[in-house]
Amino acid sequence: MNNATAAKQAAPKKMRKTASLEKKKARAGWIFVLPFVLGFVILYLPIVFDSIKYSFNEINIQTGGGYVLEYVGLKNYQEAIFVDASFVRTLTSGIKQLIFDIPAIVIFSLFMAVLLNQKMLGRAAFRAIFFVPVILATGLVAEIDAGNQLLDYMSSSESIATGSEQQDNSVAEIITATDLSFLFNNMAVGTELVEYVAGAVNNIYNIINRSGVQMLIFLAGLQSISPAIYESCSIDGATTWETFWKITFPMISPMILVNAIYTVIDSFTSSSNSVMSYISTVYDQAGGNVIASAMSWIYFIIVIAIIGIVAAVLSAYVFYQRRD
Amino acid sequence: MNAQTTPQAPKVTKETKNSIRVEFDRTSKWERFKIKYLSLNFLGMAIFKIFRFLLLLGISYVILYPFFSKISSSFMGRDDFVDVTVKLIPKYPTLDTYKEIIAENGYLEALLNTTLLSLFCGLVQTFICCMIGYGFAKYKFKGRNILFALVIFTMVVPHDTLQLSMFMKFRYFDILGIFNLLGGGLIESFKLIKFTSLNLNNSYWPLALLSISGLAFKNGLYIFMMRQFFRGVPDELEESAYLDGYGPYRTFIKIILPLSVPMMVTIFLFAFSWQWTDSFYTTVFFTQEGMLLMPDIVKIPKTLDTNYAGQNLYTAAIRNTCGLMIVAPLIVVYLFGQKYLIQGIERSGIVG
Repeated sequence: MNNATAAKQAAPKKMRKTASLEKKKARAGWIFVLPFVLGFVILYLPIVFDSIKYSFNEINIQTGGGYVLEYVGLKNYQEAIFVDASFVRTLTSGIKQLIFDIPAIVIFSLFMAVLLNQKMLGRAAFRAIFFVPVILATGLVAEIDAGNQLLDYMSSSESIATGSEQQDNSVAEIITATDLSFLFNNMAVGTELVEYVAGAVNNIYNIINRSGVQMLIFLAGLQSISPAIYESCSIDGATTWETFWKITFPMISPMILVNAIYTVIDSFTSSSNSVMSYISTVYDQAGGNVIASAMSWIYFIIVIAIIGIVAAVLSAYVFYQRRD
Repeated sequence: MNAQTTPQAPKVTKETKNSIRVEFDRTSKWERFKIKYLSLNFLGMAIFKIFRFLLLLGISYVILYPFFSKISSSFMGRDDFVDVTVKLIPKYPTLDTYKEIIAENGYLEALLNTTLLSLFCGLVQTFICCMIGYGFAKYKFKGRNILFALVIFTMVVPHDTLQLSMFMKFRYFDILGIFNLLGGGLIESFKLIKFTSLNLNNSYWPLALLSISGLAFKNGLYIFMMRQFFRGVPDELEESAYLDGYGPYRTFIKIILPLSVPMMVTIFLFAFSWQWTDSFYTTVFFTQEGMLLMPDIVKIPKTLDTNYAGQNLYTAAIRNTCGLMIVAPLIVVYLFGQKYLIQGIERSGIVG
């Protein structure tokens, strides 16, 4: 583009040129993010505001098209918290469950990522299998699984045949540990242990299912640690265990923060968790019930609070390698 | 072993142009074997490796077992579900479940519609998120950090929170009140168009609009991943392109896009398959009968008589079969794409 004329115009112009390049780049930046900006302003912001607005209103859809809003103040919120008997219960139990799950998911995915990062037989195959749930066990399939009696039956046919010993705890279970408990029964260890192991296995299926993306993020993080550091460690005589805690763990700690927050977001917003499914049943009940909006804003505020706490606690321990 | 390490000069037994064979004192095979394999260190390593392998194998089993049991149950006949002795292998194998789902639930139509929708959404979202991520990663402009915080915000808000208002937004679609103004909603006499709002539900429009603006399902995550990826791309690439006379847009199209193909395949894989199995947006935006999509085929075909002793299990098996048929095309896509999934993520170096 810069032809001969531009070249002839000498030094004084040069300053202006560089400044305009900066400006040009800033403008290009805006254009690259423009779709998001437009969408956010035109679509998303009104949607969010409407949602907040609806939660303070009564809504009536009219037959001719159009709808009428009636301001009712905090009534929806009051109804959600004080009138609806099961909302608060679902909320507390759901949050308790999630708080229990989140460290488990983060630790498990870190552990698995470290394993999958090592060189070994069949690594590619294992990796392929481990990321199957990311792609396949989401959305619809997770929903179908959630109310799945067949798999429970498949794995606990004994209990159905002999009575209903295990049935109460197998509502949300996707895989029960038939073979495991069968094995342990034969080994004649205590029933508590059997139940505990079976429970752990159940939970682990959930955990595996929900830790695919986290595993990917950890793997990426592990790949970015320079091998030179490990090499110098092994020359200095550090064991694998020490290397993990002194090198891998600090280096991966920013990823732990990212993953913890991602896990919170992911598990709180996934439609398979109990609070979300409760909210959507409320929504479906009256075909656009505004109480559902109120409920989900209450829920959202709690989620934000939890994310804030997690971020604050973890970022105190995160180690950032100085870059640049 | 290098010949140089032995104290005496090595005796060359054979020398050709490319290779050399030297004779030197070597510890005997048995000694080497003992040192290498009969040590505690090796034992520890071996135990660790076996343990690791078994652990991974076990977890793989846990992941794959539900698929196996679903597949086996999808071939079971009615009588298998009341037979206690049947576990994984059906006694009365049948293809009826599949046939009825295809014939009655309109599987093929849903497959076609969903393929179109997911392909479109996947491609658009991949490109748009790539663009937005590139903008965030490589250009400094005012308000960049605030905008990026907004991207994170769209990730954090549970979409169920916006369910009602999202439905309403597209039921009475309006761009910043322009349609309302032109249609005479504000001033009676000023009427250029016949409507005050558009009903975009039950069409591809809502999802298309959300995809184009990078606001659809999990797009915040994609933008984040793309941004991290582009941060790892050296600036020199673009600088050299500028020197060659490319502008920012041509640089993006000609240099950056080809470079980021593995990452884009990753994003596409996510976008495509999550759109494919999505039931939230499809149920919000497609409320009436008419457009068959994947969530609609999850129901019990009427010709399959489920009213008998094994009803619960049978219906569950049918629902599972629906689920299997929904993900079947995804399995194919995954088999082709999984290599890129891991490569793309590894190269992205999502750090900090």
